[in-house]
Amino acid sequence: MEAFLETIGNFLNSVGPLLALPVIVAVLGIILGQKWDSAIRSGLLTAIAFVGIFLTVGLLGSTLSTIGSAFAERTGTGLDVIDIGWPAASALAFGTPVGNVIIPIGIVLNIILLLIGLTQTLDIDLWNFWHMAFVGAIVQFITGSFAMGLFAAAATLVIALFLADWSAPLIQKHFKIPGISIPHLQSAGYMMLALPFALIVDRISFLKNLRLDPDTIRKRLGLLGEPMVLGFIIGLILGLLAGQGVQDALLTAVNTGAVMLLVPRMVAILMEGLTPVSEAARNFMTSRFAGRKFFIGLDSAVLIGNPGVIAAGLLMVPVEILLALALAPLGNRTLPFIDLADGPFVAAMLAPLVFGDVLLTVILGAIVMGIGLIFTTLLAPAVTNMVTTSGVSVDIPSGYATYTVMSDAAIPTSYGLYYLFQTPQVVAIIVTLAFIVLLYFIKTRFPLGEKLIKPPEEGNGD
Amino acid sequence: MKKVFVVCATGIATSTMLRVKIEKFLAANQVEAQIYQYRVTELSPSRLDADAIVATTSIPDELHIVPVVNGLPLLTGVGEQEALQELLSVLKQSNKEG
Repeated sequence: MEAFLETIGNFLNSVGPLLALPVIVAVLGIILGQKWDSAIRSGLLTAIAFVGIFLTVGLLGSTLSTIGSAFAERTGTGLDVIDIGWPAASALAFGTPVGNVIIPIGIVLNIILLLIGLTQTLDIDLWNFWHMAFVGAIVQFITGSFAMGLFAAAATLVIALFLADWSAPLIQKHFKIPGISIPHLQSAGYMMLALPFALIVDRISFLKNLRLDPDTIRKRLGLLGEPMVLGFIIGLILGLLAGQGVQDALLTAVNTGAVMLLVPRMVAILMEGLTPVSEAARNFMTSRFAGRKFFIGLDSAVLIGNPGVIAAGLLMVPVEILLALALAPLGNRTLPFIDLADGPFVAAMLAPLVFGDVLLTVILGAIVMGIGLIFTTLLAPAVTNMVTTSGVSVDIPSGYATYTVMSDAAIPTSYGLYYLFQTPQVVAIIVTLAFIVLLYFIKTRFPLGEKLIKPPEEGNGD
Repeated sequence: MKKVFVVCATGIATSTMLRVKIEKFLAANQVEAQIYQYRVTELSPSRLDADAIVATTSIPDELHIVPVVNGLPLLTGVGEQEALQELLSVLKQSNKEG
């Protein structure tokens, strides 16, 4: 079995993301009932998206690697690990051997768990299976085993589903979205780590009384909500601090702004290719569960329009930069960049833990990302391997400038499994399964919003 | 030509799913429309020259000067046709020139 899996893994690896994923997407689409011409179009769009992603990540690498290292040297901060951001990481993760097969495996696993009643969530947000692929990819890197990568990815999916079930009552009340749960690790993973801290900060009444007004913050920091402007500002500051003249620094700024705008555009093409498949899969799954009660699992993006979440997310931009600088002596080398634009994802599921209080949300965010930054640095070799073996044409000068993903490498499931799988495989598997059992116990006994973190009674809340 | 803004948290993921569906639906109903994708934090009332917003997330109050259609049904499939019909009637009622 394991040898068979390794053969598949090696084959997918040798074909590469540009060819393997598009074929899988097209075939999967046809199996799920997509018309053949639309399925071929989906596959082709996927391949083209990869071409665009390779080009733009290459631009990111060449723009930031020189400036990043000059910045690190001149300022003495040592922040020389570049944050390529989740948009690029998502595509690259789907491009890995585990990523190639994660969608069909994820669908089957989710259906089985629903049928035997272990979860209540039907995750129709296939896009975010990339988080599982990411964990699979870094575990495969550390163990050298495709089978272990697959196991870690599958375990991550189960954890995501359990976190969704666990938080569903709280999320549905706080955001007024009945019937929906969020198996999205880019928010739910942070929530898991923040929960114990939430129980503490919620008791500090001095902090609770410093109410920050979401609308004022949104007005003051609104510009940071636009990635290209954020990229321009950060590029300019980095350029100047790295000792560039004004003209060169402005050029750097335009390039970093361009990267912020262009990488996500390329990922939107990938998304366009995957949409019909995802739609076909949704219909396939929901038609098999017609009449049953379940939560529809969605991207935490659906939570983010909430003013408190936006405000806390904008505040995360300066907080993450300050954290990166302050933690440099403790081992952080990550230079936050692309994922600065995604503070709202950090905030999305922390906000309900403190009933929407903006300051407390930011404090929780700072704790989670502070711990996370140390790990984004430690996981850089695995992420760099994912980038360089994918086909991105960028020469990383040896000795400095490696890549990480600030959002995903900072999720506890990512670094938890990465380190767990450095122990003997039997230990890693047993501990993973034990954690899943524990999480199952917690989610059934202490549902959030009911047993733990009970929202204030109607009428005296916000 | 009508203008529709599809809005989500990233301007990438769920808004792309919406755009693909809305393009198909409007073409089938012979409505000519240009569709733009935005992230919710990018929108400002002064640049909101759309006939309708379809959003997968809640939209801050100051942006409700344009009719907002809830895009969640297009993701979940529950109430999808109703949401699309709502968009259609919003676009038919909007009489902006051009």
